[in-house]
Amino acid sequence: MITCLLLVSFRVAAQDTTYISIDLTNVSFQKFIEEMEKISPLRFYYDAAETDSLLVTVKMDHVQPAVILRQVVQPNGLQFAIDAQGRVFITRKFKIQTALADGFFDKTNTVKDTLREPAAALINPDADKEKLKASLEKKLFDIGTRTNSTARGNAIVVGYIRDGKNGEALSGALVYIDTPVVKTITDQFGYFSIMVPKGRQTLRVSSVGMKDTKRQLMVYGDGKLTVELEDYIASLKAVTVTTDRKSNIRSTQMGVDKVNIRTIKQVPTVLGESDILRVVLTLPGVTSVGEASTGFNVRGGAADQNLILLNDATIYNPSHLFGFFSAFNTDVVKGVELYKSAIPEKYGGRLSSVLDVATRDGNSKKLSGTGGIGVLTSRLTLEGPLDKEKTSFILGGRTTYSDWILKQVPNDAYANSQASFYDLNLNITHTINPKNSLYLTGYISHDKFKLNSDTLYKYGNQNIILKWKHIFNNRFFSVLSLGKDRYEYAIQSDNNPLNAYRLSYDINQTHARAEFTYTPGSKHAFTFGVHSIYYKIHPGSYLPASDRSLVVANQVAAEQALETALYLGDKYTITPDFSINAGLRFSMFNYLGPHDVYQYIPGSPRSTSSILDTIGYASGRNIKTWAGPEIRIAMRYSLSSNASVKLSFNTLRQYIHTLSNTTAISPTDIWKLSDANIPPQQGYQASLGFYRNFPNDIETSVEVYYKRMQHYLDYKSGATLLMNKHIETEVINTSGEAYGAEFMIKKSAGKLNGWLSYTYSRTRLKIDDPIAGETINKGNYYPANFDKPHNVNFIGNYKFSHRLSISINAVYSTGRPITLPIAIFNLAGSQRVYYSDRNQYRVPDYIRGDISVNIEGNHKIKKLAHSSWSLGLYNVLARQNPYSIYFVQESGVIKGYQLSIFGSIIPFLTYNFKF
Amino acid sequence: MKKYCGPYCLILLLALAACKKAYEPQVIATDYHFLVIEGVINAGSNAVTTILLNRTKSLGDSSAPNPELGAQVFIEGEAGGSFQLQSQGAGMYNSAALSLNTSGKYRLRIVTSNGKIYQSDFVPAKQTPPIDSVTWKQDKGVTLYVYAHDPQNATRYYRWDYMETWLYRSPVSGSLGLNNGQIFFLDSTTQITDCWTTAPSHNIAIASTEALAQDVISNIPIAQIQQNDEKMGIRYSSNVKQYGITKEAYQYWQIIEKSSQQTGGIFDPQPSQLSGNFHCISDPNEPVIGFASMSVVTEKRIFIDYRELTGWFYSNKPGNQCDPIIIGQNANFLLYNYPDTTYIPSYFVSGGGLVIVKKVCLDCRRRGGTNSKPSFWK
Repeated sequence: MITCLLLVSFRVAAQDTTYISIDLTNVSFQKFIEEMEKISPLRFYYDAAETDSLLVTVKMDHVQPAVILRQVVQPNGLQFAIDAQGRVFITRKFKIQTALADGFFDKTNTVKDTLREPAAALINPDADKEKLKASLEKKLFDIGTRTNSTARGNAIVVGYIRDGKNGEALSGALVYIDTPVVKTITDQFGYFSIMVPKGRQTLRVSSVGMKDTKRQLMVYGDGKLTVELEDYIASLKAVTVTTDRKSNIRSTQMGVDKVNIRTIKQVPTVLGESDILRVVLTLPGVTSVGEASTGFNVRGGAADQNLILLNDATIYNPSHLFGFFSAFNTDVVKGVELYKSAIPEKYGGRLSSVLDVATRDGNSKKLSGTGGIGVLTSRLTLEGPLDKEKTSFILGGRTTYSDWILKQVPNDAYANSQASFYDLNLNITHTINPKNSLYLTGYISHDKFKLNSDTLYKYGNQNIILKWKHIFNNRFFSVLSLGKDRYEYAIQSDNNPLNAYRLSYDINQTHARAEFTYTPGSKHAFTFGVHSIYYKIHPGSYLPASDRSLVVANQVAAEQALETALYLGDKYTITPDFSINAGLRFSMFNYLGPHDVYQYIPGSPRSTSSILDTIGYASGRNIKTWAGPEIRIAMRYSLSSNASVKLSFNTLRQYIHTLSNTTAISPTDIWKLSDANIPPQQGYQASLGFYRNFPNDIETSVEVYYKRMQHYLDYKSGATLLMNKHIETEVINTSGEAYGAEFMIKKSAGKLNGWLSYTYSRTRLKIDDPIAGETINKGNYYPANFDKPHNVNFIGNYKFSHRLSISINAVYSTGRPITLPIAIFNLAGSQRVYYSDRNQYRVPDYIRGDISVNIEGNHKIKKLAHSSWSLGLYNVLARQNPYSIYFVQESGVIKGYQLSIFGSIIPFLTYNFKF
Repeated sequence: MKKYCGPYCLILLLALAACKKAYEPQVIATDYHFLVIEGVINAGSNAVTTILLNRTKSLGDSSAPNPELGAQVFIEGEAGGSFQLQSQGAGMYNSAALSLNTSGKYRLRIVTSNGKIYQSDFVPAKQTPPIDSVTWKQDKGVTLYVYAHDPQNATRYYRWDYMETWLYRSPVSGSLGLNNGQIFFLDSTTQITDCWTTAPSHNIAIASTEALAQDVISNIPIAQIQQNDEKMGIRYSSNVKQYGITKEAYQYWQIIEKSSQQTGGIFDPQPSQLSGNFHCISDPNEPVIGFASMSVVTEKRIFIDYRELTGWFYSNKPGNQCDPIIIGQNANFLLYNYPDTTYIPSYFVSGGGLVIVKKVCLDCRRRGGTNSKPSFWK
């Protein structure tokens, strides 16, 4: 390795014009040095004690000093290094030499304000990768204009952190220096900006799943640097992944869970389909009402209080096949982040959480692909450069053959059923120049199903978003984005020609954001911006589906609104141990015409009979404005280098509500905007956390929270939500409170990795709306549908070798509350049930274990395709966990049943490949 | 269960069939006795209103209904007028033949024997158009459908119930009857081979035409008879009653239907609490079950003969227990004193001797029906 380093430096040095000649015989080492100092500009530093016994004989003509040094020093077991100032260090132990001053010989390397591309530029392409890496770590990079003396003060280093293999931007990578402690995290584009003292610095970079690296910097002034990281799998055993570990202590963010795609792919799931939302459900503080629902509840919030973003595009229905699978193709996804408590000021519009799904950029170096063949679905992803190093794309698709499977089932019940879906992702990344980049994301999902009936359901998401990142200077950059999101569904029935109908619903939003990040010094980092969403909802059209149909065309008037938010945030590092993230978001919602607005008798229960007046508003007229500030504050105090305490307080507002009468999220739920009669949901959350890391990559954390929400919508009994022109008569304003504690222990690296979490959480709702006209449980607090006090999750992965690993997933949770029948009576010839107060009982506890084995093909680099197998068992205990309990009348008698969705061991097998 | 949870489970989960098993709820301690009020104020002319009063029972209680006896029940007009209903026993209360003012509003008022007062809201009378037809279709089982229309487009919300009557036969026929140990010969009025059973509907059938341009009820299923059910083994009849109801009543019936008739699918709504239009005046917190409504009732009868059906195999073949025994005749051949009283005489053997068969095989009345042909039967 050392030889190689020298060779490298020689190659560079050969371009230099400093050539000297020397002729000495049997002189002392000290004499040799004196001679060298005479004939070259070099200054030597060495330990006389190490060299006093040496005698030097050397005769060379017109060579560079380094050649002479190599000839003299190396055979004597010594090492040398030449730095940028022309200082030569001679030592016996190599590790003292931290840098090799090839920059000394190559002044053209000194750049100001341009990006360096080390991997492309520097090194002999034939050099072995490992050596290359080592040399990059030891090479001294000049940042800023080189000056003879290092000035005092700070400079800003900006740049990108990328995956060395495919050039993909690494977001969330930690970039830091140790003395003094300064750190930053890359943004979604892999961009970072860090303020460091001028002079010699060691910049360290680490990122989840990547090998840590460092760069030796000589900082003269502001400058740029791009660092490429290596995949840790390809490297040696001893690699530890430390990003998360350090960031959980150092970041002010709390209540954030980050899961990378490797973890997601290790977790066993039903039918072997890697599933982001299933993994999200294993995080502390996240629960769901049942297995067949991808709707999730974060810290006692309702399922519609989660903002689900795919590269900043809102996904309204993140599920396929009635909720069995999430609609994200894991081959395209880079990772997910779930914000549970300290929600950054840039996000808003939902009360509980933000789930940020980031997709990968395409491989900018070569065309490659990945794919998988599973029991139910197949997927294929292609990626590669469109214009080498400038433009790259990634295109991923997934489809199912469940339709075909349904036809094979020897059971009449399924003869009439069909179910199919697909989804497509496209990302294009284009670098116009080092200061401007464009990012385009497109997404389509489509579902169609018919369950042994004549009713056909269809639904789908469509999203497109374009982002432009512009770097003004090292301290200031902006991201502008523009996008459109759409979700639609349709239900069609044509069995009875007289009643044949088609019901359809859609929500469209056009959104734009301008965001600026300004880092004036190492103490502050400001983010500010404006975000605007224009909504257009068609709440329902009910149309005849045949010529003979008597169905009257009925349309609920379209709704439109503009939601605008201004935000400003500052990451303020008061001392290295104490920092604050303070953010303010001011959001405003304008409900716009054309629309008719009903006015109700003030103070009396709203019903169609209490309508006083109807006011028509013209197109574009502002009907109602709701506005208010939202406060986002998070604080972090480091107790030591591996322990910290964090505190956060958030207020949030939500202007869009899901209307759903069912326990699970269903594809036919509708989204309704706040309007003149329906106020926005509001909530606040306070949380406190303690974080402590231990050796062997073990992280622990405890977080407690308390939360209140207002104007959450519940429904009157038997409410009609579809095609209702006065929804406000069917909904009841509900307020709620949630509190809980989350404990987590996580081992993020090593042969054995995974986490164990325990969550205690309660959510209670209360109907205290004077104009509701009816109350639930007499206006007392009652548990929400998703109130499950005790949750234990374990996810573990053990690597036997690089090719074989086993994953185990275990889940325990308290059964969810249900409303049970408490009495029976006869009515209309049959026995009927009288139900208890709402949610006074619970279904039995939920217990499940899954296991999967992942087998990778061999790791030869040159191979047509790399393949892997994943096989496993879902629900190994074969426990019939009740999803729902219900009571049916059968021949005049009430019978209770429990329905388990995955009530037996479900084996699965998936074949994955990569080329 | 096997079918659902075999290796094909993975497909099953697609179809949401999943695994279903019986669930016995834990003992729900308190045994509530809420008042249940059923019946419609009949707005027809000279019409009798029947109101049923019952109490709820605990879930595990399989005993007979729990009627509320000794209550005073009144129909009261908003514009005055009070008509007391007379107890018929078993919690049933009947009015005299009344012709109520169909443009007025009425309510029910009940004073129970424990002194508690229950009262409904005042409800308007709803007119009901005639039933155009009741038809049926066979797809293995038989489904009855109703058709109606209201040219005024005023009814919009409908409810149906029906009274089913069917003919069934004893597996063994005989020509003899028995009265106080005396054998007699049966005639068409005393025969015990053919019986008719009448039963009320068990399910709730409601429909709304709110979304339709015209108030037309077309092809609404109101009843289902399982394949090979004895009801259609020989001849079946159903008398369908149609009630025009208010929107509120429709919603109330919808909740009851949702709470106890739906199959508990994943996307089904959660059960909702029943809140009818009755109130306990004495204790406002006490739940009362029931919804008072007032309608004119129209009806239509339909007959279905087993010969109209395909593949309907109702078998009333006698089992071993119906094997006849031949005994000697008494001197007084009309005197019958066979010691095993589960046997009754069937017919005289021509060569002498009496064939006797178990009563259950011979007398169709043993199974609950009546041996007198209903007047409407044809």
